[in-house]
Parts: sequence; structure tokens; C-alpha cells
Amino acid sequence: MNTQLKIKMRRLLFSPSFVTLSVGIVVVLAMLAGVRSSVQAQTTAAAPPSTAPAIVDSSLTISAKGTVNDPNGTITVSGSVIVNCRRVLDTSTNTTTPASPVVLLDLDFSKLSGTSGSTKTTLKTYVTGDNHASELRPLQASDTIIVTSPYYDSTKDVLSARTMLVTATLNFDTTTGKLTSGSISIGNNVVTAAAVGTITTVN
Amino acid sequence: MPDKNFFLSPKASKARLREAEQARKNRQEIIKARSQGQISRRDLIKMGIFTSAGLMLPISGLSPFARSAYADSNIPTGLPPSPLFTATAFSQPMPRFDVFPRNPVSVLNPAPTAQANTTQQPVDPALGGGMGPIEGRPPGPIWAHQQFTQLPPVIAIQASMEGAKINNVYNPGVPSNQNSGINAANPFHPTFHPNLPDQTALKLWTYNGTIPPKLMQVRYGEPVLFRLSNKLPVQQNQNGGFGIHTISTHEHNGHHGAENDGFTGAYFFPNQFYDYHYPIVLAGRNSINTDATDINASSPTDAGGLTKVPGDWHETMSTHWFHDHMFSFTSQNVYKGMAGMFNIYSGKDRGAEDIIDGVNLRLPSGRASVSGKSWGNLDYDVNLMLADKAWDGNGQLAMDIFEFDGFLGDRMTVNLAYKPYMEVERRKYRFRILNGAVSRFFKIALSDSSPMIQIANDGNLLPHPVVLTKLDEQGIAERYDIVIDFSRYSINQKVWMVNLAEHQDGKRVDKDLSVSEALSGNSDDPCVGKFLEFRIVRDPAQPDISQVPDPLIPNPDLSAIPVARERTFEFNDGANQTTHDPITSFFGPWGIKTNDQGDTLAADFGRISAAPRFGTREIWTLKNGGGGWDHPIHIHFEECQTLARNGSASAVPAWEKGRKDVWRLRPDGEVKITLQFRDFGGMFMEHCHNTVHEDNAMLLRWEIDDLGTPFLQPLPTPIPKPQGVTFMPPDDILPSAF
Repeated sequence: MNTQLKIKMRRLLFSPSFVTLSVGIVVVLAMLAGVRSSVQAQTTAAAPPSTAPAIVDSSLTISAKGTVNDPNGTITVSGSVIVNCRRVLDTSTNTTTPASPVVLLDLDFSKLSGTSGSTKTTLKTYVTGDNHASELRPLQASDTIIVTSPYYDSTKDVLSARTMLVTATLNFDTTTGKLTSGSISIGNNVVTAAAVGTITTVN
Repeated sequence: MPDKNFFLSPKASKARLREAEQARKNRQEIIKARSQGQISRRDLIKMGIFTSAGLMLPISGLSPFARSAYADSNIPTGLPPSPLFTATAFSQPMPRFDVFPRNPVSVLNPAPTAQANTTQQPVDPALGGGMGPIEGRPPGPIWAHQQFTQLPPVIAIQASMEGAKINNVYNPGVPSNQNSGINAANPFHPTFHPNLPDQTALKLWTYNGTIPPKLMQVRYGEPVLFRLSNKLPVQQNQNGGFGIHTISTHEHNGHHGAENDGFTGAYFFPNQFYDYHYPIVLAGRNSINTDATDINASSPTDAGGLTKVPGDWHETMSTHWFHDHMFSFTSQNVYKGMAGMFNIYSGKDRGAEDIIDGVNLRLPSGRASVSGKSWGNLDYDVNLMLADKAWDGNGQLAMDIFEFDGFLGDRMTVNLAYKPYMEVERRKYRFRILNGAVSRFFKIALSDSSPMIQIANDGNLLPHPVVLTKLDEQGIAERYDIVIDFSRYSINQKVWMVNLAEHQDGKRVDKDLSVSEALSGNSDDPCVGKFLEFRIVRDPAQPDISQVPDPLIPNPDLSAIPVARERTFEFNDGANQTTHDPITSFFGPWGIKTNDQGDTLAADFGRISAAPRFGTREIWTLKNGGGGWDHPIHIHFEECQTLARNGSASAVPAWEKGRKDVWRLRPDGEVKITLQFRDFGGMFMEHCHNTVHEDNAMLLRWEIDDLGTPFLQPLPTPIPKPQGVTFMPPDDILPSAF
């Protein structure tokens, strides 16, 4: 069976249509090569293999606080956010173009909580559930990442959740790839007209 | 390192766009010849178009990544943008899926048989002539439907694979007011937008040749016989320039015998059919709850009750999809339209929110008391298939199969409609979101960052719902079921689904954007930003009584099942080709190293890389061999539990703590999973679901081949031909396979 297929393949390779196609491709390539040879020379350089470790892990626990205006009143949010960071390099020598270094970030909001009200009867507490923000970002010295987190009354279920804005400014050592410092603030999720519109036409 | 981007801006100079279009045409000639079998990859290497690693050289006039003659040194050559003609975003309604008719199995003629039906018929001369079997399933006992007598098919679903045509029998399964006003009685044209040209019969190949994409609705305890007839052109060159007319459908991720799994080497030819037997059983049916006494392991009856079924109810599945799996052509065929979705209904997830029986989770779906359907209501249970597409200057679907990093389109489609809108009521909806792209990852948020509740991951309801304001990245073939509560909006408001995952190429996401970044319009990636508009049009006619309970479906307890062994699979580039069978092997830049031994190997479906014992449990570690790419790895047949990411159990996020069948390894990442091997046997696959990687050649075969006996018997490899399937022994068995 394999022999038959090989024979078929050989027949195909030497068929008139294949030969015509091959000649055509070679002619096109030759023409293109003549016109653009200087351009080609600029494109084949690949980055040398890096001596840096491919993976660098780091982690920070960053204090966070802020207030959120909620229908239940002003919520004071405080606590900490655990930021796990993995710097990754593309060390492959097989690919045509190495990818840029990136950081994989995991922001764990589970240690954030909020309160509203001040009396025994009005006091409510809020939690964020199991929410993490998982982000892939280019490695740079400083990156401001605007993420959001749900929060909800701890006595209710997740369907009652609303959104708060979390602004994280993270600083990296671009040489070692480590997360070195950062700050996190909490605020209102401002909804713009670009985010929630109004139906103006009926199709 | 050179910056690059896949698609040129529409604002690029006319000369630049002309140059890119010419390069695309030049490549199309080669793609056409390659897809039509006139030329092999080895020939291309000899011609100097490919490197020996199978990568396309950056030759100007061919490669999209070669520098342009019209650009300065920092601007790469890109592909020309797909023309929109007069189509605009959010100007067409989103069609709901087209529900396959369900019929009694008695309508099938010929009747289905346990072993392949080898009744002979004349074979078209274009396929070699002579005589051949009417069914393309490999013949004989090994490929006979397992447990066919115990689980005889009850429901028949018939379909054909054919070229694009107008749909005159569209069945959305919901009334027009739940389908954004679409009148299903009108002819439905094969186009991505009414203002774009219809796709020709050679460019778009779909189930039944029509769009919207198809939906199968099935329930536990009711075996289905899916008969797929291949009505594609017999001439291989009648493919519109890409795709192949030999097909194999994978029900992703069915717990079925391997003969029904859409094995990549069990493909069939035009004028043949293939009977896929989907028993729709709970995993563990032969060892857990075998006498079907647990009411949680159950299926909805037409009368509104429950039928108990054997098996472990913790293995209940919900959202599958089905797609082509033709060896080394999956990306082309799926991109060409060979994909649909598959909803499984159970006592727990029955698709009727008003049936209160103590078992039904009452997830958003619709009321049985209104529709008269005791299960499978779709009013508020919506399938979404996301896919990026590209088309040529004539508006016809276009693909570049030489992008071995992965192919990206520049136009977002939902259910094969370009950036549609959907009318919704002020209540909860369930969305079953499938990443049906070739290589693109998505990351979804609502434009106002409102919370979404994730209830399922891949085919499985989570142990607990998870509230998120943006979903995790969603790799190709992953399914995320979410609930959105639109009651927070006012009538006449609109809000959008937004894609935050920015790509520069098909290797992986380049950057996860914030919602504001994605909405700014500053991204060079044309598929970033809004892609689906929700228009809040009315209050529901009845109060929303649907629920999102906690817990949903707890994980199966595997602690008492010993781990028989551990295996490691590393997904890498720089593969070696150690076998050269022209039918079963394929060479590409990608490959898999098994158990840290030997080479990273290019795909060969004649090679057995792993052969776990029937009835055992194993732990598998899936490693990404590099930081420059991501791989969504799919394991067929059994659902798995994720034990750790990068060696840490705590690094498994809440939305991955259920069962899964696809894992994004993340750049340089590692995932440890555990899975069982039970109920059925045969040859299955494991592969990257970036289908360009899969096709080039990041795929392996594993098999369960002892069927509970002490004898290990490697299964023969099928070699399909129109004149009949033959078999040959495996051409390679890795030493660590057994």
C-alpha cells in the first residue's frame, strides 16, 4: 500500500500540472527575489539564545483601600491584594520571530472586604468571592493596570454583585523580571456612554 | 526584533494594500496547490519557500511578515483588511443556532448496524473508481459500535456535509421575538452579513450546507445515531482553494466509544456516510450507581418527570460542540464551517427553569409551562460560537494555511454573523460561549464591566458559581457558560460584549487589555473591542424564576481510586519526524515529547504514545515547552480534574476547579490533571486545539486497548480509501506507552 502511494506521489510530482505549477512558482520567486533582495536581507535575523532564565517568579502583597459609592451607601474597602508575577521569555531558536518578554499576573482579591453603615442595624459587609484577575502584559518598568472586581453583600449570593474599579500600578525590574513594588487603589466603576448606550435605531 | 501585525490598517496606503493583496494572491496559488494534493511540503522546502522546520521564509511577495517595499523599516507587511462592502457593525440580528431535527431511529435507511455497513457501491472515477462501501467507518469488530446492543440508538439525527446554499428550513427552536426578530420562515442566505456577498458552495462547507450553525439537543439515557453523509465534491480540487473533502466529526468531548470519537484517521469520502453512535451516558456507568438508584443521575422525561440512569451524576455534562477532525486539515475544515454545538440535558441541567423537583438546578432557559417542552428550552439559554474570519476582495472566505504560528482573521463573527446585535429581556440569560476560532484566544467582558456569573467550564457545570467582571482568557475549543442578568439595565439601553485579548500573531495573546483600553479603538488588532451588542428591549412576559444555585455539580471523589501511573507530555516546536508513512504521518514545526524521553515528535496517527489500562486512573502533566506561545491542549474522551498549575494546587483558579477537557498551558506553563479510563475503549487523541498547531503536527494518539483483559493488544491503524478501509499495524509504539 505504501509503495502504491509512493508511486502515486511520484506520478503527481511529475504530472504536467505539477511541473507547470512548480515552474510558475519558481519564476514568481525569481522575479520577486530580484526586485526585493535587499528587503529580504533585513528580515531573517533572529534573536540569539538568551542566557537569562526563561521563568522568573515573584510575588507581592499590596495594601489597598478606597471607597465605592453603592446604592446601599458609601462602602469603605480595605485589605490587601496578592499579586503573583511570572516573567516569561521566548527562548526558542526555532521560531522565526521571538516573542517579546511578558509577565503573567494573578491578582487575588480575596483579602479585600468592605463595610457600609455604622450602626448595628445598618452595618453591612461585602466580599469579592473567588475572583482573581488573570492578566498577560508586556514586561515594562511600570505598568498601570485597570481591572475591576465584583463585590457583594456577604449575606447575599453572587447574583447581587456589583463592580468596583481596581487600579494597580506595578513596577518591575526589567533586568531580573521581578515585580518590585506597587500600589493599588479602589474606586467607582465609572460607566461611560461608550460602555452603555441607548438604542436609537431599530433595524 | 521586528514589530509585526497580522492585518494592515484600512488607512494604509493604496500601494501598500495592493502589495499585500498581491502577496495574498501569490500565496493562494500555493495554498490551492497544496490543499489539492498537487504539491507537498517537501516540495516547498526544495523550492526554498519553506525552511526545513516547515516555516515559511519571509519572502517579500509571499510572506505577510516580510518587509514592505512601501513601508519604512519598522512597518511589516500585513494582510489586507477584509472588505466590508456596505456592512456595518451591529446592524444585523444575531441568529440563534439552527436546531437539528430529532427523529426515531426507524427513519434511517439503511438501518444502522453495529459493524460498519460494507454494502458496496460504485466509486466515482475521480476517487479511483471501482466499488467501495457505502459507510466509511472502518469495518470489522474493532470499529463496531461498543455496547450497541445494551445502548441501542433511539434518536436519529441526519445531516450532510455540503457546500453553501440557502437555508429554507431554519429552526432556531425559539419564536421570532426570542431571535432578535428574525423570521425563520424566510430564506437564510449563506453570508456573514446581508450586505456582504453570499459565500459560494466551494468556499463555505457546513453541516447541511447552511447557516446558522447547527445545534444538537440530546439527553442522558437516550442514545443518538448521528448519520453524516459526505456530499462534498468528489474532485479534490473543487475546494475553493482550501479545505479537504475527506471528513471526520469529533463530538467534543463525548464519553463514547472511540469509533464514534471522530478519530483523525477514521475519515470518509464523498458519497459515503458514517454512523456515529452517541450513547449519552454518565461516566462510570459500569462501576458507580450501576443499578440506577440515585435520582441525581437522571434524565428529563417528556412528561416533566425524571428517568434514572446508571453512572456517576458528578460526571454530568452540559455543553459540547462537534467539529471536523480530518488529519492535518482540521483548521481548514473547521474554519470553512464544519462546526456546531451540542447541548446535553439531564435531571440537573434540564433546560426548564420552572420545574421544581429537588433535582433540577433551574438554570436560565425557559418555562416548560409556556413552551410545552419539559426540557431543552432555549429562550434564555443561548449558544454563542465566536470565530474570527477573513475574506478576500470578493467577500469570499479566505485562509492562509502557511501561518504555522496560527491563523488570525480580522473580522469577528458570532454564530457566523459579523458583529451582530441580540435583543434581550430584562432578566437572566445563560450563554454557552464556544471559542470556535482557529488560533485566536478571547477574553470577554461586558463593556460596563458588570458582573457575570460563570457556571460551567468546557462541558461541565462548576462545583460553585464564580462571579467575575471579566472572564479568563478562553482558548480555542474551550466553552464558558455564563449567566448575565440584564435586569440591571433599563429598556432601550444597550451594552456590548468586548474582547480584551490582543493578538499580534497566532502564537498567543500579546496583551490582555483593560476594558477602557479595548474600547479606546487604539489597538492594532481588529478583533479587539466590541463584538456583540445586547439591546435591552422589554421586560419578560413572566417573572424571572430561574436560579443560579450554589452548589452546582460537585466534583467526583477520586481519592479512593489509586493512581496507576503518571505521564508527561511536553508541547514544543522543533519537532522531529521519525516515521514517514505518507498517510498517517505529517511533518510540521510543532510536536509533542512524551515522558521526557526521546525526541519531540511530529504527528503520526499510526504511533501509539500512551496506552493506559482500562479501569485505571492516571495523572498527566502537560507542559508548554516555550514562553513564546500558548497551547490549548485537548484530551479526548474523559473529563479530567485539574490538580495543579505550575506545581501549585492553589494556583488553580475557581473557574477551573470543576472538570475540563481543554487547558491553556500558558507561556512556559504546566498543568497537572487526573483522569480515568473506563466504560469504552479504542484509540483517542490528545492535541493542541490551536488547530494550526494541531495540523502541523502537534497531535498524538493514545489508546485504551486491553478492554479489561490482562492482554495488551495494540490496535491496527485504519487507512481509509474510497474503495474500503484497510488496516496496518502501528508504525511506532513508544517504549513508555504501556
